[in-house]
Amino acid sequence: MTSASRWVFGVVLSVLWCATGGPAAAEDLSAQRILERMDQVIYGFDDQIMDVKMTVVDTDGSSKSYQFTIYQKGAQQRLVRFTSGEVQGMATLVESPTRMYVYLPGFKKVRQVAAHAMGQTFAGSDYTMDDISNPTFASRYQAALDREDDHHWYLVLTPKSGENPLYPRVEITVQKGTFFQNETRYFDEKGRLVKTMSCSEPKDYHGRSRYSVIVLKDARTGHSTRFDILDFRVNQGLKDSMFTVRELQWSR
Amino acid sequence: MKRASVILVIAGLCGAARASDWTDKVEFSGYLQSDLRYVIEDYRGPRPGEGFRFEMNRNDLNLRLKIHPDPSAQAVVDARFRFYGFNESATLPELVRRTRVDPYDFQLNEAYLAVRGHPFDAMDFRVGRLIESWGTADMFNPTDNLNARDFSDPLDYTAKVPNQMIEVSVYPTDWLTLTGVFVPVFKPSLLPPSASLGFAVETTRDGCFLRAPTPPLSRADIHRLQGLFAMADPCRLSFAPEVRTVTPPLNFRNSQAAVRAKVQADLGEHGGALDLSFSYFYGRFTFPVAYTAVANLVPSSQNPDVTEVRYTAQMIYPRMHVAGADFAYSPPVDWLPGLFGEVALIFPEQVTFGLAVLKNGVLQPSLLFSGVNVPRTPFVKATVGVDYTFTSWLYMNVQYVRGFFDEFNDRYGLHNYLAPAVELKFFEDEWKIRLAGAWNLDDLSAAVFPELTVVVVPSIELTGGVWAYLGDTKPLDPQSYAGRSKFGQKATGRSVAYLKARVTW
Repeated sequence: MTSASRWVFGVVLSVLWCATGGPAAAEDLSAQRILERMDQVIYGFDDQIMDVKMTVVDTDGSSKSYQFTIYQKGAQQRLVRFTSGEVQGMATLVESPTRMYVYLPGFKKVRQVAAHAMGQTFAGSDYTMDDISNPTFASRYQAALDREDDHHWYLVLTPKSGENPLYPRVEITVQKGTFFQNETRYFDEKGRLVKTMSCSEPKDYHGRSRYSVIVLKDARTGHSTRFDILDFRVNQGLKDSMFTVRELQWSR
Repeated sequence: MKRASVILVIAGLCGAARASDWTDKVEFSGYLQSDLRYVIEDYRGPRPGEGFRFEMNRNDLNLRLKIHPDPSAQAVVDARFRFYGFNESATLPELVRRTRVDPYDFQLNEAYLAVRGHPFDAMDFRVGRLIESWGTADMFNPTDNLNARDFSDPLDYTAKVPNQMIEVSVYPTDWLTLTGVFVPVFKPSLLPPSASLGFAVETTRDGCFLRAPTPPLSRADIHRLQGLFAMADPCRLSFAPEVRTVTPPLNFRNSQAAVRAKVQADLGEHGGALDLSFSYFYGRFTFPVAYTAVANLVPSSQNPDVTEVRYTAQMIYPRMHVAGADFAYSPPVDWLPGLFGEVALIFPEQVTFGLAVLKNGVLQPSLLFSGVNVPRTPFVKATVGVDYTFTSWLYMNVQYVRGFFDEFNDRYGLHNYLAPAVELKFFEDEWKIRLAGAWNLDDLSAAVFPELTVVVVPSIELTGGVWAYLGDTKPLDPQSYAGRSKFGQKATGRSVAYLKARVTW
């Protein structure tokens, strides 16, 4: 199984986390409700299509870029097609958190992706399969309000009972009014900062505003991955049939 | 003038729009690859001491064009130009022909049309020159019989021989896929260049007879046959072997067909993911199986004291029915490995091998040999494997294989293999080391292929490695057809070091 096939849609998660949304009415919200609203802003569309350029930046400043297109419907269904690099032609499909497939053009074969590959990254980026396969927070984490100011809520997330996400502690900065996710910090089981995700440079995409740049930085190595959203479209009428193995077979 | 300018602008915009529409419907991709190989031994060739030379100096240009004239239709053309890089001219007149000095060929890998959702929403079909891949295992797929294998390049072990097919897939539910394939014309597998060494007669450096391939006969018959030559002076024997294959006639009886039902089993939220397939194939085994042989002993026309043995062998492609099943299971927790497996129950056509010895064209009744080479008894070929990702930089895959690609339960039998592969990644996945091999558990011979791939920049890879065969080149038991080392025998190929450069777009 190639490394690319083990890489799963972290960019989708990141991009969607830095989602746009319509103006939100002022209301007295619990931390959990804020988290739910943030997820809802990200996934509040029937479907989404994103053209993304991913740039992996090494600590010495060298970089490499790959491009791909993400098709998403709801919170679970996701199809990613790689359009550049040595993995051009490869595609990955998430039907559900427990069922993922990859199309390998060199073998002309669709292959199931196993759970043990969840910790794999792609092309040295800082995203793992687990980042992508479980995109929403509210379903897995319990939120507590750490503090707030005029512009942001600062939430601390811990796993809900029965859940076992990759990061036992997450800190999220949510922008008041828009419920944009501005910054996210991930911690390991020992409380050490693992990585930080930041969103910036808002841009208009066909009438919808969203951050066009997402940067994920590994706190341990200084290594970073940058996503540039080249295009973003919502409510394109994507069918459920697009997120099936049939679609992978069709597109080979 | 102003109206003309407006018209020109509109025409230009329309033209641009049409051009934009056209490019949206076309996908163009491909790769360019150079492949340089050097033989790193001198004992696996046709003559002792031949080796330590360049074996390959090849360049490939692969072009893939996909056209979508309609959202529910597509046409795919995948072609390859191959430039071999070795001069084939041997005479002065040939030096005026570039194709002799710089030979090349053109291959059409795929050329087909595909339609989705017609005539029914839940139906797709493809017609044309296709390469199909069935099964869940890696490389060793006993349930994958629609395309013959292309082993003309042993290092490109996933390659297949394309063939014209009609494929229909039906999706009655979101968890069930039914597929039927019809292959009108049989095509055999391509063998490695060293395959002819499997029929070669070995001689000493002086040209004296040393050893001939053992035919698929009983031990007693082989003993009798070897006795025939034991009395002769080995330096006065000359062999001229010729091996022919019998191509099946072009009729419906020799067409091939297969059906498969693929199921996505729902094991619940905490049960993991399980895919199952059940298949049936009717067709022919794509590797040739020994069928007949005639050995005609005549005095050499150049030297009457020398006996020339004109050995003509025939090989056929036996029919078979294959009932197959495969599975792939991904457990719900990341500390368990993934499991996959395939099993094929093969019902073969019986093949009886016959060998006749003639002297000066006269049949010798006492030297007629016959025996079952492939019994009618059904047999099983299977692959079972596990894979696991230990860390972000370490992945391992191990498979047990029962029955290699070219094994058909003939007198050579079915052997057992272990195929491990370890992948290590470094420097942000830019350096990938792959350590893989195949080990015959019965005769302990092996093929090992360590490899390093460096992604110089995205789309450009440099790959260097070694492909080595380990095992005895001499038969382990000269009086048994099965007495040869799987990877040790010369017919398997040469041990090489290689360097490849590839750019993909």
